[in-house]
Amino acid sequence: MSTPADDDDMDNHQDTQPNSDAKRRAPRARRIPRTRAAQAKADAVAELFRPAPIVIDQDVANTPFDARLAAWFERHGWQPFPFQREVWTGILGAASGLLHATTGAGKTWAVWLGALAAYSDKLPSRSLPAPLTVLWITPMRALAADTARALQTAVTELAVPWSIGLRTGDTPSAERARQNKRMPSALVTTPESLTLMLTRANAEDEMKHVRLVVVDEWHELLGNKRGTQTQLALARLAHWRPDLQVWGLSATLGNLDLARDALLAPVKTPRVVVRGAQPKTLIVDTLIPDTIERFPWGGHLGTRQVKPVAAEIEHARSSLVFTNTRSQAEVWYQALLEARPDWAGLIALHHGSLDQEVRAWVELGLKSGQLKAVVCTSSLDLGVDFLPVDRVFQIGSPKGVARLMQRAGRSGHAPGRASRVTIVPTHALELVEAAAARWAVEERRIEGREMPNKPLDVLVQHLVTIAIGGGFKARQLFDEVRTTYAYRDLTQQEFDWALAFVERGGSSLAAYPDYHRVILDAEGVYRVPREDLVRRHRNNVGTIVANATINIAYMTGGRIGAMEESFVSRLKPGDVFTFGGRALELVRVREMTAYVKRATSSRGAMPQWAGSKMPLSSELADATLMMLARAMNGVYDEPEMQAVRPLLELQAKWSALPEPGVLLVELIRSREGHHLFCYPFAGRMAHVGLGSLIGWRVARDQPSTFSISMNDYGFELLSARPFDWETLIQDGLFSPDNLEHDILASLNSSELAARRFREIARVSGLIFQGHPGQQKSARQLQASSGLFYEVFRRHDSGNLLLAQAEEEVMLQELELDRIRAALKSMSGSRLALTRPKKPTPFAFPLIIARLREKVSTEKLSDRVARMLADLEKAARA
Amino acid sequence: MMLEALTVDIGGHALVLSAARAAFDPVRQTLFIADAHIGKDAVFRARGIPVPEGSTGETLARLDMLISIHRPATIVFLGDLLHARESHALTTLGALAEWRERHAGLRLILVEGNHDRHAGGPPDALALEMVEAPYRFGPWALCHYPQRVTGAYALAGHEHPVYRVATRLDSARLPCFRFGADAGVLPAFGGFTGGFEVNESARGERIFVVAGDRVMAVRT
Repeated sequence: MSTPADDDDMDNHQDTQPNSDAKRRAPRARRIPRTRAAQAKADAVAELFRPAPIVIDQDVANTPFDARLAAWFERHGWQPFPFQREVWTGILGAASGLLHATTGAGKTWAVWLGALAAYSDKLPSRSLPAPLTVLWITPMRALAADTARALQTAVTELAVPWSIGLRTGDTPSAERARQNKRMPSALVTTPESLTLMLTRANAEDEMKHVRLVVVDEWHELLGNKRGTQTQLALARLAHWRPDLQVWGLSATLGNLDLARDALLAPVKTPRVVVRGAQPKTLIVDTLIPDTIERFPWGGHLGTRQVKPVAAEIEHARSSLVFTNTRSQAEVWYQALLEARPDWAGLIALHHGSLDQEVRAWVELGLKSGQLKAVVCTSSLDLGVDFLPVDRVFQIGSPKGVARLMQRAGRSGHAPGRASRVTIVPTHALELVEAAAARWAVEERRIEGREMPNKPLDVLVQHLVTIAIGGGFKARQLFDEVRTTYAYRDLTQQEFDWALAFVERGGSSLAAYPDYHRVILDAEGVYRVPREDLVRRHRNNVGTIVANATINIAYMTGGRIGAMEESFVSRLKPGDVFTFGGRALELVRVREMTAYVKRATSSRGAMPQWAGSKMPLSSELADATLMMLARAMNGVYDEPEMQAVRPLLELQAKWSALPEPGVLLVELIRSREGHHLFCYPFAGRMAHVGLGSLIGWRVARDQPSTFSISMNDYGFELLSARPFDWETLIQDGLFSPDNLEHDILASLNSSELAARRFREIARVSGLIFQGHPGQQKSARQLQASSGLFYEVFRRHDSGNLLLAQAEEEVMLQELELDRIRAALKSMSGSRLALTRPKKPTPFAFPLIIARLREKVSTEKLSDRVARMLADLEKAARA
Repeated sequence: MMLEALTVDIGGHALVLSAARAAFDPVRQTLFIADAHIGKDAVFRARGIPVPEGSTGETLARLDMLISIHRPATIVFLGDLLHARESHALTTLGALAEWRERHAGLRLILVEGNHDRHAGGPPDALALEMVEAPYRFGPWALCHYPQRVTGAYALAGHEHPVYRVATRLDSARLPCFRFGADAGVLPAFGGFTGGFEVNESARGERIFVVAGDRVMAVRT
């Protein structure tokens, strides 16, 4: 008889070395660090967090907490902020709430000291330490250790008999086992690890003492499925304990009400919203290049600006250089090192795919001020303050106002300093964006966050989670799930479908013979009876956001990080690629690990990471259009606009400038075919949708294939034959009527839905990530999400996961609302149709873009026949 | 669906390549089928992953169509006929036995593949002749794993080859036949099988892709 493993060793989400069976694992060889750097890395990890034993001076402990707290503040020479007092009152008054303030404003102390005040005095002092009372959820593992340390400091200095624990994918199994025996009084964890705790058979016993849940950086979770996962977990906890208090900490958002409702929907305690300290002075400026290229490159990573950036870094004490993608971070790190070889060891690289040890080492270097600069991605958007950092650079488009403000806020924490971010345009048109961003920051035009609405894949996963963690009754769980904001209007039918999906495959009984994941027992409780399925589910829970990843490790041992499988699968042994700032040669791939060695050549392929493209926000796009309109009227009062003036004037001369109320469409004929360029300024994602929609509407009547390229300003449709666009547009090509129907139809003619299905298949447990040591027989379960997509479409087309894929593509990926708004404004605008002889400055980045979508209504055989003819022609030419 | 086929010369012998992802030897009246992976869907279901039924039926229907077009006397399976042990589920075996009954006069030969070994022997009801690779058959050496065989042209499966055809305007990933100087590989026949891109490894070989209902030469 096996119960869900007590030695719960499965907290291995995303990129740790998993071990499904603690007994089978070989003892780890002790390695003595060979180099100073290795020693530093080991120290950095040791630095992470170690729970401290409770040593309490009874005299101190007997004084009331209030008095201890007052003395503590006095000792440090601090004054509580009014908002902190407000939070303390709220927590003492048994309320839940949302606290929003800028980073570094003291949000952690606000809730943590409130929690200690509310709960540390009330507990019987005999049972030391107190049972699990506070859960602290943080979106990033990198943040978790820092938070745990902060909580520990307060507890020690305030003589509170509480133990602090840390439980993330990085937590060693020995520590997890210790926690399983006795949970700490406060536990810092991630949404994935919390969900994993819910899969333990005794989850309710372990967590029924939890009085307060703190959700840190809630704005980071709100907009994605991890946020949905968090909502479901909160509903579970609130179901066990109606007096549960939940406090969210958030940066300032455009839609705070939604953020509050989404977090607190399942909570039954009264609610308050507390507004924390407001942002200090924020400077946005731009590094304007000496010469402006006539043709702004897209996809070009703008390393021409490396020398000026290096000069600025030189003058600063410590700098963060933010990029928009991990590939761009790799490129810039290399380029900076080439520009300043003497900075080796003084600058570092930080992104989400690098190994935890490497990241911890970099963060430590930032805190201590040893690093001159760190090139990073959104991996450093959040987290504790790096006091020495006084400059922040944003390479390329800031993409959004809130994001730029967040990044700017990472600098200037030393007293009396302002936060300063310098935008480094990677192509000329980004100068316009930079000016627009400064204006939007001044006006506080901050974006809201959209959130997933009742994603069925997360629900399917949750059903299995709860079935493993003690089982559930259908009626009860339906009611519980509906208390969350994400599933507030989940219908009985949808719930029944999800239940049927895990119980017998789908609503159509005949389609899934011999299939059972969850089984109804005699008492009407749904459970997962099979140990192999329990194991596989636990493995999957952690992968809710990660793409299928492959570990990267040296042949000699030593893990470097993780990379997307799709990139690794394109490499052959012997190929050289760049990762973590090093050139590596692939030796072989074995069981989810790519073994590499240092390459002799210095340059290799740049890894590509999927999903790293982020659209320009509506707020910033509108501000950009406004800047262009001012330029149209001859107003060039910002330095960036003056610099880009010649380019904009050229655009106006060859074609026209896009501006509000005018829709610019450019038609160009080239060797490659017939191009249409259109600039609705709706963001990259909406342009994918607009491109496919327009292409499909044209191809509906005349079978054809379009290649679509897009950026944040507009899209290009390239076809082998010409079309009479003027007539088509007059006949309502841009009409918002039948939008949903047409978009759905165009999805079937493109690959977008199939691609979106990847994530859904993973979350709902169709495909699972292999891990080292797994049985060979698991190979027989290999199928790609694309294959699943095809099989479902062909043999169970009513499967709601397919519908979800389409809906997610429409709403999240293509941003249907923005498409609708764009079509309305396009059809209401005056059409400016031009036929420039050459690609204009706005068209050029689209024409050279490598990432392209396509939409086709032609028969596959016709398409292939034409491609083969084209290739033949090209070969003969 | 109307299916096209293309007759090619492989080492001096005619071979008909069908858009149904199989090859037919008109001289020996024999159909070659690689990697049918019958019952793969049942394996997934048995191991707790919901995959709808239907791909096995579709695979057998395509086999029926090939039989009605080419009227073979013999079918040689180039390995991986059954996916795994759980493919012996009753529904799958029932469908197979019923199919066999309808084609009782056919001679069926199976060159054992890696999956067949894991799956255990094929059910007796199928009346299959099991042979070892390389199985000499006329000018051919029939195998599961791609390999060279002296004195014969080797035909194999296992690889599930697909070929990516791409221009700047469009691209498609298509199941393909690849033929080298003395060995060739057939596309996977099964309806629930993935593919392995051979654009790099098949350099210099003849490539024929299956695009919908047609077979087209990419390189001859």
